[in-house]
Amino acid sequence: MTSIGTGYDLSASTYSPDGRIFQVEYANKAVENSGTAIGLRVKDGIVLAVEKLVHSKLLVPGANRRIQTIDRHIGLATSGLLADGRHLANLARHEASNFREQYRAPPTVKNLAERIGQYVQVYTLYSSVRPFGISTIIGSVDKDGPGLFVIEPSGVFYGYHGAAVGKGRQLAKNELEKLKLPELTTREAVFEAARIIYLVHDDAKEKEFELEMSWIGDETNGRHVPVPKDLLDEAEQKAKEALENFE
Amino acid sequence: MSAGFDFSNHSRNTFLSEKGLKVPKATSTGTTIVGCLFKDGIVLGADTRATEGPIVADKNCEKIHFISDSIRCCGAGTAADTEFITALISSNIELHALSTGRKPRVVTAMTMLKQRLFQYQGHIGAALVLGGVDPSGAHLFTIHPHGSTDKLPYVTMGSGSLAAMAVFESSWKPDLSREDALKLVTAAVSAGIFNDLGSGSNVDACVITATETEMLRGYVKPNERTQKERTYGFRRGTTAWTAEKIRNLVVSEEITPIGGEEMDTS
Amino acid sequence: MNVDIQQLKSGEVNLGTSIMAVQFDGGVVVGADSRTTTGSYIANRVTDKLTHVHDRIYCCRSGSAADTQTIADIVHMSLQQYAQSFGEAPTVSVAANYFQTLCYTNKDNLSAGIIVGGWDKDVGPSVYNIPLGGGLFRQPWAIGGSGSTYVYGYCDATYREGWGRDETVEFVKNTLSLAMARDGSSGGVIRMAVITEDAVERLFVPGNQLPTFWEGLEVLGNSSGAKQPAVEPMAVEV
Repeated sequence: MTSIGTGYDLSASTYSPDGRIFQVEYANKAVENSGTAIGLRVKDGIVLAVEKLVHSKLLVPGANRRIQTIDRHIGLATSGLLADGRHLANLARHEASNFREQYRAPPTVKNLAERIGQYVQVYTLYSSVRPFGISTIIGSVDKDGPGLFVIEPSGVFYGYHGAAVGKGRQLAKNELEKLKLPELTTREAVFEAARIIYLVHDDAKEKEFELEMSWIGDETNGRHVPVPKDLLDEAEQKAKEALENFE
Repeated sequence: MSAGFDFSNHSRNTFLSEKGLKVPKATSTGTTIVGCLFKDGIVLGADTRATEGPIVADKNCEKIHFISDSIRCCGAGTAADTEFITALISSNIELHALSTGRKPRVVTAMTMLKQRLFQYQGHIGAALVLGGVDPSGAHLFTIHPHGSTDKLPYVTMGSGSLAAMAVFESSWKPDLSREDALKLVTAAVSAGIFNDLGSGSNVDACVITATETEMLRGYVKPNERTQKERTYGFRRGTTAWTAEKIRNLVVSEEITPIGGEEMDTS
Repeated sequence: MNVDIQQLKSGEVNLGTSIMAVQFDGGVVVGADSRTTTGSYIANRVTDKLTHVHDRIYCCRSGSAADTQTIADIVHMSLQQYAQSFGEAPTVSVAANYFQTLCYTNKDNLSAGIIVGGWDKDVGPSVYNIPLGGGLFRQPWAIGGSGSTYVYGYCDATYREGWGRDETVEFVKNTLSLAMARDGSSGGVIRMAVITEDAVERLFVPGNQLPTFWEGLEVLGNSSGAKQPAVEPMAVEV
């Protein structure tokens, strides 16, 4: 980086002369080095999938989940610093419960994305804090139908048909673009999501990884739940087969 | 003396009221105040009697209070409360007009008054008739002490409100002329003056149109003090007496100087 | 020291009232009488107790005029704020919830019985009842105020599901007329509002055109000269 040593990257409250905030850009770097997370918005629901890199063989399988439930109908997947993701998930849970208390109605995912975005943005304003080192995918089926949003370290958020963040995002986006997402069922999307995660995993560089998946749709009764064991196994099996055919 | 509030007066008051001493009450004005809509604006009217229990405390008081150039407010109920709440809202309305750079609206004054009265849960005993003309037209409201409001084309309040309303109900019609509206308001307040013990003396009126506000203080004076037909002075010596004793009430003192040098006052 | 709330609130303006709201296929009809009283005096004989709180949401107020006006003003403000921050019209349920929260948390200081009615794009027409203690109940129809006690039976016997607009308006008109005829604290005119997706239509029935029912002409004599059924004088034991 050309600006190293200029001092403009020491604080989130300082702009560089060409109008950038380096601390926010570094936060994006933290995301780029993390395992891929994807989200698919399809006909009747949402599928979230992450490539969870296992850095130690001593870890219990299934530990350190990166997909979390915010409300009974809202799921959240993060890529980047795991602890930042946990913090933001807790914030989102409070926001959701406050919404329920105030309006006696389930919050919409758009609403929640907006609140999380506002919160994340505040961490780009002060020298005393560090911006969030995560990109967040938040998905839900609410009164407006299926919704999928990504919140970036800068605080901006966009709605997507298909979203990918983390190390393998570029390849994943290419694969997502090939799909006719609005025509897929959630069950079909589970297989596609598994396939994409297996595809983008670079086993030359990384060692082990675990596939973590959750879904929301007609089959789950509108609830955000982990993809059942048998379906997950089947999807993983198919993904491995597809990968062999691909190579 | 220890620090903090002293509540001993409260214990004293409770003791005294248990012994049957009447707790003093605030002055309440038995009143007739009215307002009515006419073709070009609003006419407000009020009597001028202020009472303290059975005593007429003021035979010519003012009950039509200033809010702004083209908004006025008649007050009934606790005299001090009507006086001060209208003064306070008038002040706030002026500040509001200054900060918005617009002419004040009647609804703004109405909202300020009702919110304050509601906040005090009826303890500010002000019953008001608020009227005026603003850029959105002519508006007339009643505001009760607990903070409820009504918007009507003709309104009355105070102890004489029943008498005055009877006049309005029988004669008011839409689009009255200025003269007819003034006549009607005078008749309504007069009904209060003559039929309600709490109201009396003169009729004050105020005509508000888009172009001017005319305060008619003492518009009608149906109760002027007239020349007594006889004098009731008695001739010297009318009363008989049996004995006479004259005592000197003037005390005379002698001042003795103590001496010393006189002060220099030059 | 003994503080009596009733004593403190003497002279308060009351909406001794008949109010109601009824759901039908395409919307909601809300209705109310027009009487406001202070003791035995009618402070306002043409009151509008149907209060706008958002584009397609109205409330019917009963109880203290000051309390219900204040609550309605606060909810009106909250709903404007809601529409502004979420970029869409609030649902009737959200509005009813605002009313409920205010009525319940301040229940010791309020006398307010409120019916909320309106149309929203989520559930269509709906009616919520918020009686004195601050409960919240969704109902196909709701009646309230002092006059309502006289007409529960009539409503139970008359209301049917699947009515259209006109039948519902008639039902509201008849119910309120009956309530106003029996309840001394209700009277004046009938004000109504038909709330549908497209519009809010205000209706008005003058006091001399209210529907009438049995008025005892058979017993008290009929001055119009119309044919009367033969009535035996009531047997009285001496």
